Amino acid sequence: MKVYDGSQTESAAQSTPERIKVGIAEYKVTTEPALLTTSGLGSCIGIAIHDPHSMVAGLVHVMLPSAADIDGGNSAKFADTGVEALIEAMEDAGASTDTMEAKIAGGSDMLDFSESGSSIGSRNAAKVRETLEEFGVPVVGEDLGGDHGRSVKLEADTGNLVVKSANTESKTL
Amino acid sequence: MNVDIQSLGTFNQLAHEGAEQATQSMGQMTGIDAVVDVTKITLLDRADVGEELVGRDFVGVQFSFDGVLEGDTVLAFDVDSAGTITEEMMPGSGDDEAMARSGIEEIGNIMMSGFIDGWADYVGATIDHSPPKYIEESGSDVLPDAPENGDHQQVFVFKSEIEWIDESVNFYIYMLPEYESLTEMMVEHVDTDGDAIPIDKLQTFNEMTTSGTQQAADNVEMMTGIPTAAEVTQISFAPIEDVPKQIGTDTFVGTVVEFTGTPSGYLMVLFDEVSAINVAEAMMPIEMDSEELTEQHKAAIEELGNIMTSGFVDGWANVLQTSVEHTPPRVVHDMGRAIMDPLAAQVGQHQEHAFIIDSEMRTDDIEFQAEIHALPNEKELRAALDDLDVERATETSADVEQIFK
Repeated sequence: MKVYDGSQTESAAQSTPERIKVGIAEYKVTTEPALLTTSGLGSCIGIAIHDPHSMVAGLVHVMLPSAADIDGGNSAKFADTGVEALIEAMEDAGASTDTMEAKIAGGSDMLDFSESGSSIGSRNAAKVRETLEEFGVPVVGEDLGGDHGRSVKLEADTGNLVVKSANTESKTL
Repeated sequence: MNVDIQSLGTFNQLAHEGAEQATQSMGQMTGIDAVVDVTKITLLDRADVGEELVGRDFVGVQFSFDGVLEGDTVLAFDVDSAGTITEEMMPGSGDDEAMARSGIEEIGNIMMSGFIDGWADYVGATIDHSPPKYIEESGSDVLPDAPENGDHQQVFVFKSEIEWIDESVNFYIYMLPEYESLTEMMVEHVDTDGDAIPIDKLQTFNEMTTSGTQQAADNVEMMTGIPTAAEVTQISFAPIEDVPKQIGTDTFVGTVVEFTGTPSGYLMVLFDEVSAINVAEAMMPIEMDSEELTEQHKAAIEELGNIMTSGFVDGWANVLQTSVEHTPPRVVHDMGRAIMDPLAAQVGQHQEHAFIIDSEMRTDDIEFQAEIHALPNEKELRAALDDLDVERATETSADVEQIFK
């Protein structure tokens, strides 16, 4: 589990918020007023969860719908196991699913060449919703689908999720 | 000589963990929070090693190592970041050249010992390394000379890119093992026979890709009148989740196709925005002189992407003697990583690691650079390599034009 308590960067945290980068198939959790960022979401989805009660926030960048479809690999790569891993890590850091809220972005249909069936982007989105529902975590904001890429920034103190695209204005969920 | 996908994956993982360990050591010494961004194994022509470093100044430390694995490794920092790192370690040392230098040496020593020890642990044998040698060089000169081997024009390079989170500063760990000692070690660590890759044929495949890229470059020249040359061609191997990171977060314009046959996969032709505008205008009958990318530019890029793709794919198909078809190009204009992301995801439904084939072309006349990236289905690439007639490939390098006509 990757929990940032900010102990190594106390001086920096007071001036500008610490920036925590979340790579593809990674998740990070923080209890500090940090900025959690991930970039280059195409069909991938960024799931940002914020618990205003305990002030714990986390972000996971998942790539594929379900761990059941492929052998091995790390849990954060998949929508189902990735959401689960993030929620558990947040609980360990003091958050509760009773007060967690989720915002999700990504799941674009860009460059989907499959002629039949639904795109990876929409399957990712469906699996993310399903898993969040299982844990009783409501989705309070979303920016999904379309045919463009996205980068996101989660403000850990407010729970605001800023979504940026290459060709459009950024929006805040 | 065959190596299996599993052992390529394991070796990639080793290099990645070594880089992580090295980065942690640095974090403990300096308090600097850095992460290993990408680790990949690349096979490329020795002359092209370090091409991506051109135009920047580096300081760092070099080691040579021998034992079950022989070769050289280097840790290279951007000049600016080196100053900041030593300043973090020993405040006030940033301006003192001798202290800065000894700081880099110390950090390099600790980081790289961890890196080499990780490999030795895995193979259960000793790998000795020389004392660190401090270096200050420009561009690819920061790297040790690629090991010489009369039989092999190409070398394997393990490259990790480490990103320092609070600053937009990167540094690098390169490892250049001797071809023979590396492949012997890979062969020894083959776990199964089922998914073996004929390693020597990968080199042949690279040579063919260079020819295919040249064909694509010739097509660009034909359509635009701009003399264009194929530059670097390489084949890399990385975990699927690292594939999108092979492309930057900048915005690119280009085309993507799915190709089917043996192998199948995806192929991207990408231009940075300035190059896209320049090359598109070179194709237009009237002067545009536009700063912005218009629909006319995109239409020209679509046409160009199509003909470049055909040149490239036909090159493969001719030598592999297979039929490779491709879909009409789809025009993309987005951040590079987001373009690669859905393609990696589609390939990633069936495999954990991927081969990525990259080539570049450039011209001196105007600011223009194009990248071609192919993401083949791993099993099919393996099958195609298995069937590759090396005799025919040898003929190819002697008379490329006949094959890639």
